[in-house]
Amino acid sequence: MRPMDYIVPESAEAAVAILAERGEHACPLAGGTDLVVDLKHAPGNIHALVDVSGLSEFRGIEETDEGLRIGSMATYGEIMEHPTCLEKTPEVVAASHTVGAVQTRNLGTIGGNLVTCVPSADSAPALMVLDAEVTLVGTNGWRRMPIEDFFVGPRKTILEPYELLAEIWIPKHTLGKPSSFYKFGLRKGQALALVNAAGALELDGDLIVEPRIALGAVAPTPIRAVKAEALLDGQEVSGGLLDEAARVAVTETKPIDDFRASKSYRRQLIRTLTRRVLERSVEIARERQKQGELH
Amino acid sequence: MLVELTVNGESRSANVAPETTLLRMLREELGLTGAKLGCDVGDCGTCTVIVDGVSVNSCLMLAGRASGCDVTTIEGMASADELHPLQQKFEELGALQCGFCGPGMLISAKNLLDTNPEPTVFEVRDALAGNLCRCTGYTKIIEAVIDAGEMMSQEQANV
Repeated sequence: MRPMDYIVPESAEAAVAILAERGEHACPLAGGTDLVVDLKHAPGNIHALVDVSGLSEFRGIEETDEGLRIGSMATYGEIMEHPTCLEKTPEVVAASHTVGAVQTRNLGTIGGNLVTCVPSADSAPALMVLDAEVTLVGTNGWRRMPIEDFFVGPRKTILEPYELLAEIWIPKHTLGKPSSFYKFGLRKGQALALVNAAGALELDGDLIVEPRIALGAVAPTPIRAVKAEALLDGQEVSGGLLDEAARVAVTETKPIDDFRASKSYRRQLIRTLTRRVLERSVEIARERQKQGELH
Repeated sequence: MLVELTVNGESRSANVAPETTLLRMLREELGLTGAKLGCDVGDCGTCTVIVDGVSVNSCLMLAGRASGCDVTTIEGMASADELHPLQQKFEELGALQCGFCGPGMLISAKNLLDTNPEPTVFEVRDALAGNLCRCTGYTKIIEAVIDAGEMMSQEQANV
Protein backbone atom coordinates (compact mmCIF):
# COMPACT_ATOMS: atom_id res chain seq x y z
CA MET A 1 0.00 0.00 0.00
CA ARG A 2 1.25 3.50 -0.77
CA PRO A 3 2.20 5.84 2.12
CA MET A 4 -0.97 7.15 3.68
CA ASP A 5 -1.90 9.60 6.42
CA TYR A 6 -4.13 8.04 9.06
CA ILE A 7 -6.32 10.39 11.05
CA VAL A 8 -8.61 9.48 13.93
CA PRO A 9 -11.11 12.33 14.41
CA GLU A 10 -12.65 13.09 17.80
CA SER A 11 -16.23 13.59 16.66
CA ALA A 12 -18.46 13.24 13.63
CA GLU A 13 -18.34 17.00 13.03
CA ALA A 14 -14.54 16.92 13.27
CA ALA A 15 -14.45 14.05 10.75
CA VAL A 16 -16.55 16.07 8.30
CA ALA A 17 -14.34 19.13 8.80
CA ILE A 18 -11.15 17.14 8.21
CA LEU A 19 -12.59 15.54 5.09
CA ALA A 20 -13.68 18.93 3.76
CA GLU A 21 -10.28 20.43 4.49
CA ARG A 22 -8.36 17.59 2.84
CA GLY A 23 -10.65 17.47 -0.16
CA GLU A 24 -10.63 14.60 -2.63
CA HIS A 25 -7.36 13.13 -1.36
CA ALA A 26 -8.96 11.98 1.88
CA CYS A 27 -11.37 9.13 2.31
CA PRO A 28 -13.38 8.00 5.34
CA LEU A 29 -12.41 4.53 6.56
CA ALA A 30 -15.06 2.26 8.09
CA GLY A 31 -14.45 -1.48 8.43
CA GLY A 32 -11.95 -1.46 5.58
CA THR A 33 -13.09 -4.74 4.02
CA ASP A 34 -13.62 -2.99 0.67
CA LEU A 35 -11.46 0.13 1.02
CA VAL A 36 -8.25 -1.53 2.22
CA VAL A 37 -8.47 -3.92 -0.74
CA ASP A 38 -8.99 -0.97 -3.11
CA LEU A 39 -6.06 0.88 -1.57
CA LYS A 40 -3.77 -2.07 -2.21
CA HIS A 41 -4.75 -2.48 -5.83
CA ALA A 42 -6.34 0.72 -7.16
CA PRO A 43 -5.74 3.53 -4.68
CA GLY A 44 -6.78 6.31 -7.05
CA ASN A 45 -5.72 9.64 -5.60
CA ILE A 46 -6.36 8.77 -1.94
CA HIS A 47 -3.52 9.82 0.34
CA ALA A 48 -5.27 10.11 3.71
CA LEU A 49 -7.67 7.94 5.67
CA VAL A 50 -10.05 9.41 8.19
CA ASP A 51 -10.97 6.52 10.47
CA VAL A 52 -14.59 7.04 11.49
CA SER A 53 -15.09 3.50 12.76
CA GLY A 54 -14.76 4.38 16.43
CA LEU A 55 -16.83 7.58 16.54
CA SER A 56 -19.40 7.39 19.31
CA GLU A 57 -22.05 9.09 17.10
CA PHE A 58 -21.71 6.20 14.65
CA ARG A 59 -21.34 3.37 17.15
CA GLY A 60 -23.69 1.25 19.21
CA ILE A 61 -27.04 -0.42 18.84
CA GLU A 62 -29.92 0.57 21.12
CA GLU A 63 -33.68 0.63 21.34
CA THR A 64 -35.28 3.98 22.10
CA ASP A 65 -38.84 5.37 22.10
CA GLU A 66 -38.40 6.01 18.37
CA GLY A 67 -37.29 2.52 17.43
CA LEU A 68 -34.03 0.66 16.98
CA ARG A 69 -30.93 2.74 16.32
CA ILE A 70 -28.07 0.93 14.63
CA GLY A 71 -24.92 3.03 14.45
CA SER A 72 -23.49 2.96 10.94
CA MET A 73 -20.22 1.62 12.33
CA ALA A 74 -21.86 -1.40 13.99
CA THR A 75 -20.20 -4.47 12.51
CA TYR A 76 -22.21 -7.33 11.12
CA GLY A 77 -20.78 -9.45 13.92
CA GLU A 78 -22.15 -7.02 16.50
CA ILE A 79 -25.59 -6.95 14.87
CA MET A 80 -25.73 -10.76 14.79
CA GLU A 81 -25.06 -10.98 18.53
CA HIS A 82 -27.21 -8.09 19.70
CA PRO A 83 -30.19 -9.28 21.78
CA THR A 84 -32.58 -6.60 20.49
CA CYS A 85 -31.66 -7.29 16.86
CA LEU A 86 -32.10 -11.03 17.44
CA GLU A 87 -35.48 -10.54 19.05
CA LYS A 88 -37.02 -7.72 17.01
CA THR A 89 -35.25 -7.69 13.65
CA PRO A 90 -34.31 -11.35 13.12
CA GLU A 91 -34.26 -10.98 9.34
CA VAL A 92 -31.73 -8.15 9.56
CA VAL A 93 -29.65 -10.63 11.56
CA ALA A 94 -30.30 -13.34 8.94
CA ALA A 95 -29.26 -10.99 6.13
CA SER A 96 -26.15 -9.97 8.08
CA HIS A 97 -25.27 -13.64 8.49
CA THR A 98 -25.13 -14.10 4.71
CA VAL A 99 -22.51 -11.37 4.23
CA GLY A 100 -18.93 -12.56 3.61
CA ALA A 101 -17.60 -14.83 6.34
CA VAL A 102 -16.96 -14.58 10.09
CA GLN A 103 -13.74 -12.58 9.81
CA THR A 104 -15.10 -10.05 7.33
CA ARG A 105 -18.33 -9.69 9.33
CA ASN A 106 -16.28 -8.82 12.41
CA LEU A 107 -14.59 -5.99 10.51
CA GLY A 108 -17.24 -4.95 8.00
CA THR A 109 -19.85 -2.44 9.09
CA ILE A 110 -23.46 -2.16 8.04
CA GLY A 111 -22.90 1.51 7.16
CA GLY A 112 -19.87 0.70 5.07
CA ASN A 113 -21.90 -1.88 3.18
CA LEU A 114 -24.67 0.63 2.47
CA VAL A 115 -22.24 3.39 1.43
CA THR A 116 -20.39 1.04 -0.93
CA CYS A 117 -23.84 0.71 -2.47
CA VAL A 118 -23.50 -2.36 -4.63
CA PRO A 119 -26.86 -3.57 -5.97
CA SER A 120 -26.41 -6.88 -4.15
CA ALA A 121 -25.83 -5.41 -0.65
CA ASP A 122 -27.48 -8.00 1.58
CA SER A 123 -28.47 -5.72 4.44
CA ALA A 124 -30.43 -3.38 2.18
CA PRO A 125 -33.59 -5.41 1.40
CA ALA A 126 -33.99 -6.55 5.01
CA LEU A 127 -33.84 -2.92 6.18
CA MET A 128 -36.05 -1.58 3.38
CA VAL A 129 -38.99 -3.84 4.23
CA LEU A 130 -38.89 -2.49 7.79
CA ASP A 131 -39.21 1.12 6.52
CA ALA A 132 -35.72 1.91 7.82
CA GLU A 133 -34.42 5.45 7.72
CA VAL A 134 -30.87 6.74 7.68
CA THR A 135 -29.29 9.83 9.19
CA LEU A 136 -26.42 11.64 7.52
CA VAL A 137 -24.02 14.27 8.81
CA GLY A 138 -22.13 16.66 6.57
CA THR A 139 -20.94 20.22 6.18
CA ASN A 140 -24.58 21.41 6.36
CA GLY A 141 -25.40 19.48 9.50
CA TRP A 142 -27.63 16.47 9.90
CA ARG A 143 -30.44 15.15 7.68
CA ARG A 144 -32.65 12.08 7.67
CA MET A 145 -34.38 10.14 4.90
CA PRO A 146 -35.94 6.77 4.01
CA ILE A 147 -33.23 4.25 3.20
CA GLU A 148 -34.56 3.82 -0.38
CA ASP A 149 -33.65 7.43 -1.11
CA PHE A 150 -30.06 6.79 -0.01
CA PHE A 151 -29.29 4.53 -2.98
CA VAL A 152 -28.80 6.39 -6.26
CA GLY A 153 -27.01 3.94 -8.56
CA PRO A 154 -24.36 1.23 -8.58
CA ARG A 155 -21.73 2.44 -6.08
CA LYS A 156 -23.49 5.80 -5.94
CA THR A 157 -25.33 7.10 -2.89
CA ILE A 158 -27.04 10.38 -2.15
CA LEU A 159 -24.13 11.41 0.09
CA GLU A 160 -22.78 14.87 -0.72
CA PRO A 161 -19.01 15.39 -0.68
CA TYR A 162 -17.71 15.10 2.92
CA GLU A 163 -21.04 13.76 4.13
CA LEU A 164 -21.15 10.58 6.24
CA LEU A 165 -23.78 7.95 6.99
CA ALA A 166 -24.31 8.13 10.75
CA GLU A 167 -27.19 5.87 11.77
CA ILE A 168 -29.82 3.46 10.57
CA TRP A 169 -33.19 3.68 12.33
CA ILE A 170 -35.80 0.96 12.27
CA PRO A 171 -39.02 2.62 13.41
CA LYS A 172 -40.87 1.31 16.43
CA HIS A 173 -43.94 0.22 14.44
CA THR A 174 -41.97 -2.27 12.34
CA LEU A 175 -39.93 -3.82 15.17
CA GLY A 176 -41.07 -7.43 15.32
CA LYS A 177 -43.05 -7.13 12.07
CA PRO A 178 -43.36 -10.56 10.41
CA SER A 179 -40.56 -10.56 7.88
CA SER A 180 -38.39 -12.88 5.83
CA PHE A 181 -35.07 -12.61 3.99
CA TYR A 182 -33.71 -14.99 1.40
CA LYS A 183 -30.42 -14.82 -0.47
CA PHE A 184 -29.47 -16.97 -3.40
CA GLY A 185 -25.74 -17.14 -4.15
CA LEU A 186 -23.55 -19.69 -5.89
CA ARG A 187 -22.16 -20.85 -2.53
CA LYS A 188 -23.19 -20.36 1.06
CA GLY A 189 -19.94 -18.72 2.19
CA GLN A 190 -18.39 -15.54 0.79
CA ALA A 191 -20.71 -15.34 -2.19
CA LEU A 192 -22.42 -12.32 -3.62
CA ALA A 193 -26.16 -12.64 -4.11
CA LEU A 194 -27.43 -13.54 -7.57
CA VAL A 195 -30.68 -12.22 -6.14
CA ASN A 196 -31.69 -11.40 -2.60
CA ALA A 197 -35.19 -10.65 -1.39
CA ALA A 198 -36.98 -9.55 1.72
CA GLY A 199 -40.65 -9.40 2.55
CA ALA A 200 -42.65 -8.08 5.49
CA LEU A 201 -46.35 -7.82 6.21
CA GLU A 202 -48.99 -7.92 8.92
CA LEU A 203 -52.22 -9.91 8.80
CA ASP A 204 -55.54 -8.48 9.98
CA GLY A 205 -57.59 -11.67 10.06
CA ASP A 206 -56.97 -12.92 6.53
CA LEU A 207 -56.23 -9.49 5.07
CA ILE A 208 -52.68 -8.42 4.23
CA VAL A 209 -51.73 -5.11 5.80
CA GLU A 210 -48.66 -2.98 5.05
CA PRO A 211 -46.97 -5.42 2.69
CA ARG A 212 -43.36 -4.70 1.76
CA ILE A 213 -41.13 -6.38 -0.79
CA ALA A 214 -37.51 -5.40 -1.43
CA LEU A 215 -35.12 -6.96 -3.91
CA GLY A 216 -31.36 -6.79 -4.41
CA ALA A 217 -29.04 -7.48 -7.36
CA VAL A 218 -31.99 -7.01 -9.72
CA ALA A 219 -31.55 -3.34 -10.70
CA PRO A 220 -28.93 -0.57 -10.41
CA THR A 221 -29.85 -0.22 -6.73
CA PRO A 222 -31.78 -2.34 -4.22
CA ILE A 223 -35.45 -1.65 -4.96
CA ARG A 224 -38.92 -1.93 -3.46
CA ALA A 225 -41.41 -3.85 -5.61
CA VAL A 226 -44.16 -1.28 -5.06
CA LYS A 227 -46.59 -2.59 -7.70
CA ALA A 228 -46.51 -6.04 -6.17
CA GLU A 229 -46.99 -4.46 -2.74
CA ALA A 230 -50.03 -2.51 -4.01
CA LEU A 231 -51.49 -5.72 -5.40
CA LEU A 232 -51.28 -7.37 -1.98
CA ASP A 233 -52.40 -4.44 0.14
CA GLY A 234 -55.74 -5.08 1.85
CA GLN A 235 -56.34 -8.33 -0.02
CA GLU A 236 -57.25 -11.68 1.41
CA VAL A 237 -54.17 -13.88 1.58
CA SER A 238 -54.12 -16.86 -0.81
CA GLY A 239 -51.54 -18.87 -2.69
CA GLY A 240 -52.78 -17.44 -5.97
CA LEU A 241 -52.40 -13.88 -4.72
CA LEU A 242 -48.81 -14.47 -3.60
CA ASP A 243 -48.05 -16.07 -7.00
CA GLU A 244 -49.45 -13.04 -8.76
CA ALA A 245 -47.45 -10.65 -6.56
CA ALA A 246 -44.26 -12.59 -7.35
CA ARG A 247 -45.05 -12.38 -11.07
CA VAL A 248 -45.62 -8.63 -10.85
CA ALA A 249 -42.43 -8.13 -8.82
CA VAL A 250 -40.41 -9.55 -11.74
CA THR A 251 -41.83 -6.82 -14.03
CA GLU A 252 -40.48 -4.15 -11.68
CA THR A 253 -36.86 -5.34 -11.97
CA LYS A 254 -34.10 -4.92 -14.54
CA PRO A 255 -31.70 -7.79 -13.91
CA ILE A 256 -28.51 -8.04 -15.94
CA ASP A 257 -26.58 -10.82 -17.65
CA ASP A 258 -23.16 -11.28 -16.10
CA PHE A 259 -20.64 -14.02 -15.38
CA ARG A 260 -22.57 -15.07 -12.26
CA ALA A 261 -25.95 -15.63 -13.88
CA SER A 262 -28.06 -14.83 -16.91
CA LYS A 263 -30.87 -12.31 -16.93
CA SER A 264 -33.50 -14.99 -17.48
CA TYR A 265 -32.17 -17.08 -14.58
CA ARG A 266 -32.25 -14.03 -12.35
CA ARG A 267 -35.85 -13.35 -13.38
CA GLN A 268 -36.81 -16.87 -12.31
CA LEU A 269 -34.99 -16.36 -9.04
CA ILE A 270 -36.79 -13.08 -8.39
CA ARG A 271 -40.15 -14.77 -8.82
CA THR A 272 -39.23 -17.74 -6.65
CA LEU A 273 -37.60 -15.72 -3.89
CA THR A 274 -40.40 -13.15 -3.78
CA ARG A 275 -42.92 -15.96 -3.45
CA ARG A 276 -40.89 -17.57 -0.66
CA VAL A 277 -40.35 -14.45 1.44
CA LEU A 278 -44.04 -13.57 1.21
CA GLU A 279 -45.10 -17.08 2.10
CA ARG A 280 -42.71 -17.17 5.06
CA SER A 281 -43.88 -13.74 6.27
CA VAL A 282 -47.48 -14.97 6.14
CA GLU A 283 -46.51 -18.07 8.13
CA ILE A 284 -44.90 -15.94 10.81
CA ALA A 285 -47.91 -13.63 10.93
CA ARG A 286 -50.21 -16.67 11.30
CA GLU A 287 -48.05 -18.01 14.15
CA ARG A 288 -48.37 -14.62 15.85
CA GLN A 289 -52.15 -14.72 15.45
CA LYS A 290 -52.26 -18.17 17.05
CA GLN A 291 -50.07 -17.03 19.92
CA GLY A 292 -52.35 -13.98 20.30
CA GLU A 293 -55.40 -16.25 20.58
CA LEU A 294 -53.70 -18.34 23.25
CA HIS A 295 -52.95 -15.34 25.43
CA MET B 1 3.07 5.79 14.30
CA LEU B 2 3.61 3.89 17.54
CA VAL B 3 1.28 0.93 17.92
CA GLU B 4 1.12 -0.72 21.33
CA LEU B 5 -0.90 -3.86 21.81
CA THR B 6 -1.01 -7.14 23.67
CA VAL B 7 -0.07 -10.17 21.60
CA ASN B 8 -0.55 -13.63 23.09
CA GLY B 9 -0.51 -12.13 26.56
CA GLU B 10 2.64 -10.04 26.10
CA SER B 11 2.82 -6.26 25.69
CA ARG B 12 4.37 -5.47 22.33
CA SER B 13 4.89 -2.31 20.35
CA ALA B 14 6.32 -1.17 17.06
CA ASN B 15 6.71 1.97 15.05
CA VAL B 16 4.97 1.42 11.76
CA ALA B 17 3.89 3.48 8.79
CA PRO B 18 0.14 4.29 9.09
CA GLU B 19 -0.78 2.18 6.06
CA THR B 20 0.74 -0.97 7.63
CA THR B 21 -1.74 -3.78 8.08
CA LEU B 22 -1.88 -5.69 11.34
CA LEU B 23 -0.66 -8.76 9.42
CA ARG B 24 2.48 -6.98 8.22
CA MET B 25 3.15 -5.59 11.67
CA LEU B 26 2.86 -9.04 13.24
CA ARG B 27 5.05 -10.68 10.62
CA GLU B 28 7.62 -8.02 9.83
CA GLU B 29 7.91 -6.01 13.04
CA LEU B 30 7.09 -8.52 15.75
CA GLY B 31 8.56 -11.61 14.10
CA LEU B 32 5.31 -13.55 14.39
CA THR B 33 5.16 -15.27 11.01
CA GLY B 34 2.49 -17.79 11.95
CA ALA B 35 -0.36 -15.80 10.41
CA LYS B 36 0.22 -16.02 6.66
CA LEU B 37 -0.13 -13.60 3.81
CA GLY B 38 -2.26 -15.41 1.26
CA CYS B 39 -4.70 -13.56 -0.96
CA ASP B 40 -4.19 -10.20 0.83
CA VAL B 41 -7.82 -9.25 0.06
CA GLY B 42 -9.76 -10.97 2.84
CA ASP B 43 -10.91 -14.07 0.98
CA CYS B 44 -8.59 -16.90 2.02
CA GLY B 45 -8.47 -16.47 5.80
CA THR B 46 -4.92 -17.67 6.39
CA CYS B 47 -4.12 -14.30 8.03
CA THR B 48 -6.88 -14.77 10.64
CA VAL B 49 -6.11 -13.59 14.18
CA ILE B 50 -8.34 -12.88 17.16
CA VAL B 51 -8.63 -9.21 18.16
CA ASP B 52 -10.49 -8.49 21.40
CA GLY B 53 -12.31 -11.78 21.23
CA VAL B 54 -13.41 -11.76 17.59
CA SER B 55 -11.62 -13.23 14.59
CA VAL B 56 -10.62 -10.86 11.81
CA ASN B 57 -8.65 -10.88 8.57
CA SER B 58 -5.42 -9.20 9.71
CA CYS B 59 -4.63 -8.35 6.08
CA LEU B 60 -7.62 -5.98 6.04
CA MET B 61 -7.10 -4.36 9.42
CA LEU B 62 -4.70 -1.46 9.76
CA ALA B 63 -2.24 -1.95 12.60
CA GLY B 64 -3.22 1.41 14.09
CA ARG B 65 -6.72 0.18 14.64
CA ALA B 66 -5.44 -2.70 16.78
CA SER B 67 -3.75 -0.22 19.11
CA GLY B 68 -4.55 -1.13 22.71
CA CYS B 69 -6.21 -4.39 21.66
CA ASP B 70 -5.64 -7.91 22.84
CA VAL B 71 -4.47 -10.04 19.90
CA THR B 72 -4.17 -13.82 19.76
CA THR B 73 -2.22 -15.43 16.94
CA ILE B 74 -1.43 -19.06 16.16
CA GLU B 75 1.77 -18.66 18.18
CA GLY B 76 -0.40 -18.23 21.27
CA MET B 77 -2.24 -21.53 20.95
CA ALA B 78 0.30 -24.17 21.99
CA SER B 79 2.40 -24.00 25.13
CA ALA B 80 6.06 -25.04 25.08
CA ASP B 81 5.21 -28.61 26.00
CA GLU B 82 1.64 -29.15 24.88
CA LEU B 83 -0.35 -28.60 21.71
CA HIS B 84 -3.84 -27.09 21.89
CA PRO B 85 -6.50 -29.83 21.59
CA LEU B 86 -7.35 -28.47 18.11
CA GLN B 87 -3.75 -28.87 17.02
CA GLN B 88 -3.64 -32.39 18.48
CA LYS B 89 -6.77 -33.39 16.59
CA PHE B 90 -5.65 -31.76 13.34
CA GLU B 91 -2.45 -33.80 13.60
CA GLU B 92 -4.18 -37.04 14.60
CA LEU B 93 -6.74 -36.90 11.80
CA GLY B 94 -4.46 -35.56 9.08
CA ALA B 95 -6.54 -32.44 8.69
CA LEU B 96 -3.69 -30.49 7.11
CA GLN B 97 -1.55 -31.28 4.11
CA CYS B 98 0.61 -28.35 3.01
CA GLY B 99 -0.41 -26.49 6.16
CA PHE B 100 -0.62 -23.01 4.67
CA CYS B 101 -4.28 -22.58 5.69
CA GLY B 102 -3.55 -24.09 9.11
CA PRO B 103 -2.89 -20.96 11.19
CA GLY B 104 -6.14 -19.41 10.00
CA MET B 105 -8.16 -22.63 10.24
CA LEU B 106 -6.96 -23.23 13.79
CA ILE B 107 -7.58 -19.67 14.93
CA SER B 108 -11.08 -19.62 13.40
CA ALA B 109 -11.81 -23.00 14.99
CA LYS B 110 -10.50 -21.80 18.36
CA ASN B 111 -12.67 -18.71 18.13
CA LEU B 112 -15.69 -20.96 17.50
CA LEU B 113 -14.94 -23.42 20.31
CA ASP B 114 -14.25 -20.60 22.78
CA THR B 115 -17.90 -19.55 22.52
CA ASN B 116 -19.52 -22.78 21.35
CA PRO B 117 -17.69 -25.85 22.71
CA GLU B 118 -19.94 -28.42 21.06
CA PRO B 119 -20.79 -27.11 17.62
CA THR B 120 -22.81 -28.94 14.98
CA VAL B 121 -21.30 -29.73 11.59
CA PHE B 122 -23.29 -26.83 10.16
CA GLU B 123 -21.89 -24.45 12.77
CA VAL B 124 -18.33 -25.58 12.06
CA ARG B 125 -18.81 -25.10 8.33
CA ASP B 126 -20.29 -21.67 8.95
CA ALA B 127 -17.42 -20.71 11.26
CA LEU B 128 -14.81 -21.84 8.73
CA ALA B 129 -16.49 -20.37 5.64
CA GLY B 130 -13.82 -17.67 5.53
CA ASN B 131 -10.90 -20.12 5.54
CA LEU B 132 -9.95 -21.76 2.28
CA CYS B 133 -8.01 -25.03 2.02
CA ARG B 134 -6.79 -26.15 -1.41
CA CYS B 135 -5.21 -29.49 -0.39
CA THR B 136 -7.08 -31.93 1.80
CA GLY B 137 -10.60 -30.69 1.50
CA TYR B 138 -12.65 -29.84 4.50
CA THR B 139 -13.99 -33.15 5.79
CA LYS B 140 -11.02 -33.98 8.04
CA ILE B 141 -10.81 -30.39 9.23
CA ILE B 142 -14.46 -30.39 10.29
CA GLU B 143 -14.05 -33.76 12.02
CA ALA B 144 -10.98 -32.49 13.86
CA VAL B 145 -12.81 -29.39 15.12
CA ILE B 146 -15.74 -31.44 16.39
CA ASP B 147 -13.43 -33.98 18.07
CA ALA B 148 -11.39 -31.19 19.65
CA GLY B 149 -14.56 -29.62 21.02
CA GLU B 150 -15.53 -32.95 22.61
CA MET B 151 -12.03 -33.39 23.98
CA MET B 152 -12.04 -29.91 25.51
CA SER B 153 -15.49 -30.42 27.02
CA GLN B 154 -14.35 -33.70 28.58
CA GLU B 155 -11.21 -32.04 29.96
CA GLN B 156 -13.42 -29.33 31.44
CA ALA B 157 -15.69 -31.96 32.99
CA ASN B 158 -12.70 -33.76 34.53
CA VAL B 159 -11.33 -30.63 36.19
